[in-house]
Amino acid sequence: MNSSLLFIVLLCLTLFSYWFGIKRSLKVAGGAEYKKSLISLPEQFGLLTAMVCGLPALITLLIFNSTEQLVIEQLLTNTLPIKIQQLSSIDLGLYLNNIRSIASTETSQTLLQNISSQTLEQTSNASLITQYQGALTLQTLNQQASWLKTALVLIIAVVSVIILVRKFSPTFKARQKAEAIIWGLLVSSSAIAILTTVGIIVSVLFESIHFFKSVSPAEFMFGTQWSPQTAMRVDQVGGSGSFGAVPLFAGTMLITFIAMLLAVPVGLMIAIYLSQYADARLRRFAKPMLEVLAGIPTVVYGFFAALTVAPVIRNLGESFGLSVASESALAAGLVMGTMIIPFVSSLSEDAISAVPNSLKEASLGMGSTRSETVINVLLPAALPGIVGAILLAISRAIGETMIVVMAAGMAANLTANPLDSVTTVTVQIVTLLTGDQEFDSPKTLAAFALGLMLFITTLGLNILALKVVRKYREQYD
Amino acid sequence: MKKMMKRKITTSIITLSLSTAVLMTNVVNAQGNSRDTISAVGSSTVYPFSTVVAERFGKSTDFKTPKIESTGTGGGMKLFCASNAINTPDLSNASRRMKKSEFDMCVKNGVKSITEVLIGYDGIVLANSNTTSQMNISRKELFLALAKEVPAKDGSPRLITNPYKLWSDINPTLPATKIEVLGPPPTSGTRDAFAELVLEGGCKSFDWIKAIKKQNKAKYKEICHSVREDHTYIEAGENDNLIVQKLSANPKAFGVFGFSFLDQNSDTLQGSVIDGQAPSFETIADGSYAVSRPLYFYVKNAHVGKVPGILEFLTEYTSEAAMGEEGYLTDKGLIPLGEDKLSNIRKNVLSLTPLVLNK
Amino acid sequence: MTNAIQQTRKNAKDNLDMNNSKPSKLLSTTEIVALSLKKRHKKEKRFKNLGLLAVLFGFMLVLVLISDITIKALPAFGQHWVQLDIDYKSDWLNIEETSPETLLAEQLKTANFRKVLRNSIYQMFSSTADKKLSRSEKRELTKLFSTNAEFTIKDALIESPVLLNKQANIWVRLDDDVDSYLKEGFSDGEAGLRLSEQQAGWLAKLNAEKRLENRFNLSFFTASDSREPELAGIKGALVGTLLTMLVTLLLSFPLGVAGALYLEEFAPNNRWTDLIEININNLAAVPSIVFGLLGLAVIINLFELPRSAPLVGGIVLTLMTLPTIIIASRAAIKAVPPSLREAALGLGASKMQVTFSHVLPQAMPGIITGAIIGIAQALGETAPLLMIGMVAFIVDVPTSIVDSATVLPVQIFLWADSPERAFLAKTSAAILVLLALLLVINISATVLRSKFESK
Repeated sequence: MNSSLLFIVLLCLTLFSYWFGIKRSLKVAGGAEYKKSLISLPEQFGLLTAMVCGLPALITLLIFNSTEQLVIEQLLTNTLPIKIQQLSSIDLGLYLNNIRSIASTETSQTLLQNISSQTLEQTSNASLITQYQGALTLQTLNQQASWLKTALVLIIAVVSVIILVRKFSPTFKARQKAEAIIWGLLVSSSAIAILTTVGIIVSVLFESIHFFKSVSPAEFMFGTQWSPQTAMRVDQVGGSGSFGAVPLFAGTMLITFIAMLLAVPVGLMIAIYLSQYADARLRRFAKPMLEVLAGIPTVVYGFFAALTVAPVIRNLGESFGLSVASESALAAGLVMGTMIIPFVSSLSEDAISAVPNSLKEASLGMGSTRSETVINVLLPAALPGIVGAILLAISRAIGETMIVVMAAGMAANLTANPLDSVTTVTVQIVTLLTGDQEFDSPKTLAAFALGLMLFITTLGLNILALKVVRKYREQYD
Repeated sequence: MKKMMKRKITTSIITLSLSTAVLMTNVVNAQGNSRDTISAVGSSTVYPFSTVVAERFGKSTDFKTPKIESTGTGGGMKLFCASNAINTPDLSNASRRMKKSEFDMCVKNGVKSITEVLIGYDGIVLANSNTTSQMNISRKELFLALAKEVPAKDGSPRLITNPYKLWSDINPTLPATKIEVLGPPPTSGTRDAFAELVLEGGCKSFDWIKAIKKQNKAKYKEICHSVREDHTYIEAGENDNLIVQKLSANPKAFGVFGFSFLDQNSDTLQGSVIDGQAPSFETIADGSYAVSRPLYFYVKNAHVGKVPGILEFLTEYTSEAAMGEEGYLTDKGLIPLGEDKLSNIRKNVLSLTPLVLNK
Repeated sequence: MTNAIQQTRKNAKDNLDMNNSKPSKLLSTTEIVALSLKKRHKKEKRFKNLGLLAVLFGFMLVLVLISDITIKALPAFGQHWVQLDIDYKSDWLNIEETSPETLLAEQLKTANFRKVLRNSIYQMFSSTADKKLSRSEKRELTKLFSTNAEFTIKDALIESPVLLNKQANIWVRLDDDVDSYLKEGFSDGEAGLRLSEQQAGWLAKLNAEKRLENRFNLSFFTASDSREPELAGIKGALVGTLLTMLVTLLLSFPLGVAGALYLEEFAPNNRWTDLIEININNLAAVPSIVFGLLGLAVIINLFELPRSAPLVGGIVLTLMTLPTIIIASRAAIKAVPPSLREAALGLGASKMQVTFSHVLPQAMPGIITGAIIGIAQALGETAPLLMIGMVAFIVDVPTSIVDSATVLPVQIFLWADSPERAFLAKTSAAILVLLALLLVINISATVLRSKFESK
């Protein structure tokens, strides 16, 4: 039977083992009335039995599934004529693919018929006959594998249960054993999170090191010329292949700066107003508003920036006589600021609320107005939290991709003029990796080096934010 | 909610998630069967045509609609020539003929049998928004505007870094605006064609550069094909639609792309007059507009029969309804081949005649 | 505050010195403060208004964004159709009308409906003119109708084969240029957008004959991506999104909750646990594009899973959502009052029993809310999916998680580049659908939370 059916059968077996374990434990105890004589609850016996039935069998199933194809392929290849076996791996792959498609479309009877009819006709169709025979072999192998799998899995399940159940006694520590297994499962789940970080670091680092073999780190970090579009072929003339990333960093910084200029004052004032002044009714409307701003996907912001904000800024600038690029850093920066407002606002609000009420009340009690309290007491007290919030917001802005891909330009301009078009690190990563993806040209690897820079920067900002908050946090109680 | 209910729900959620998570891993191992969708990569200029044929093919037959990706001619060739393995593309669109070096790479990697399909002709235009005046320029002036190094102004046979900032610096009759051209990157076949037809066309009008060609071909190529990197020529990626949008937003900029994009956006863009000829259907078809090139796609013969529908797709593509004089590809801006040429190509293609490239 | 008082003191003093010559008593602090009050209250009011302004600014931003997109999206929900007189001549179709039933059906499948459509149209319009239409006129005329029209009339004939060699009134779609022109509201016969005067004249004629109709564009929801704007729909993208979200949810929820449980309840308080914690907090803040790099380098290159499949997209999004779910679940678990745990322990339960039978059910509302919010975030992600190749032109609706597919945000991104007016409307409409989806998910999270908490 196929994997899915087998899996369902296994599931049923596991459920059955649960029931069986309970029954068995009660029997061992000497009947349902003597339940109390067991060290563990019958349900726990049942759980242990179920896990012992299910887990080893499941692991076997997974291992079998992952290695099944390779083994079958190897066995099949060994039955083919020597000439075919000696084909290059790619040709062999194509040949096997052919056999696979024949095997999946024709039934074995048709194949047998075809083979016998072919042999009668001509021997010039030798290759066709070999293929049909191969298909037949494949079908047989598949069937055998299926039987083997079913048998193996079911036997392991049943045998494990039997071995376990024999050990049942009133003093059998079923609970401890079951809990140990569950504990193991929990640990491995948390390990996945670590594996992810390791994976990111390793893959990005690996490719970046590869990159730095062809381009020196000094040129990358300090060079001001970014023309990565090198020639595709030997006889083509492309870009000069300079990988100075400073214009990219500058562009990222410019757009982030503009975004912060909008987001920090607005976000902070919203946080202050909502926490200090607003009545419940306004807060009921304002909270969803902030959540909407935070929940809008960045691709929508990008669309808005490219198709609405940029032309408006352009027209405004032209009417003042300024020359505004159609993809000004201003457009992208403003929209990015909009996206970050809820971020700054909610984190600042948390920071401000964390200041003990006693300080606020003391200040008010001494006669200061609310604004004076905020400016002179709350903000300084909440400052570490607010600074942390700003740092996190900067980190978010630096890593933002879609808004800049759609609204910012592609020219690596080194400028401080917000009306010019600049490009950022994230835009270049996307540009370099959509399309040609040869993993040993400096062009593709440059994307990974940029990714590494991004990762390190955001990591650094996050750690800094954490440190700032921890170090300067006042302990009031 | 009662405690018991909560607990029951919790346990059921846990069991459900665990079981389905494991089911997923089963599915992973279930794949590895043969592919049943044709896959094509390559030129962004041919992309609009291939996608239209693919869509009609999917609608009118029982085969799956082919999957088309726009990677640029060069990028597509690399993926296509990687090997004959089943997870490599079946078709490669190209806005210029396959180069010998690419063909050699294909052969080296085992892709020996390739069928070449000539689809039609396309012009390369230098377009700008039709809200400003139309540009009238020569290829020589375009070379002076965009090359990395240009001949010195006094006429002596030496090269200087390109000093021209405004179009009017080159020729006072041209507009006094900043030189800003959005064009394709080296992965694009349009870039190759542009370099060969326009840049080189203008470059060799300088006799002393033309003389270098005989002595040192590589140096000649370097002089004529190098494009300046000081943000006057901006490489705008493989998305020609994006260039069209940017031109509408920025009337001072120019864009380099295939004629089909100009044709499809004729209400907002206009093509510049190059060497006295404006780009139009007629001038490209009869050859008077000098900057035109043929469009191709290439078929990996080893995949025919392994991936269902390739031959039928070729039939649809080379049919009268598609590539004919009144075909639907013509509606999209393709300059069609003549009747005789089309029937010849159809015959060759449907018999999968392998390509032989000698130069 | 001190500045104001000093200032007032000084003012008061100057006032006194200037006005009175006789020695005056010094103002008491209360009086000084009373004098400064007006200024301070003004400042307070200004500050408060600034805050209110900021909040209103936030509202305005949301309003502008949503209304801008809604206005742009409205045209996408209507589609103009036109009624044509189609003449199903068998010699145009290029079939033998005397063939038996079965053979006829086969022939109809490959018959030349294009010719039928064109000739019928020429017939309709040249009947009024004395001369035949020129070649360019013919081209202009056929451009008015959608390229799908020939498939519509084909389906009509196959459905009722009795129409063979007869005339029939068939409704077909108009081309997107015409559709946009009609929605723009030009007067009859006026050239505009991409329509010439002659084309506008023909349209006016059709309108006068009451052959034009504006119908609700259902195909936006039932059709897949297409190169023709009037045919493009989001069905493929929606199904792709569904599959990807399914994979993400089923992978990230158990892993996330299990990880959170371990970290919160069972992990010993040592350096390794601290490291894991820092790790997870950082992962939550890593830009999404780095996950795309990971997906490209590892999942596609190393494990060789198919590009553009919801499976790969789901795995990448799982890695992104996992930290969010772990953090939210930890917060929910932490919020369970220790009294609950201690009571259970006191009654003799083991740690595991306490966790699974008492803590977890209590924390479940918070966990589910966190998971739903994490999924909503993943729904709108585009950048990592661009890296793993979900950017191809894919028309077929995916049927399994290993078929090629695209998701709604990526579809929006791809359509945003197309210059046709109709695609602009379609992109905005797709954005509205995406936002509606997110709204539904977020509301259900809130409802669930309140339902759990009230009971």
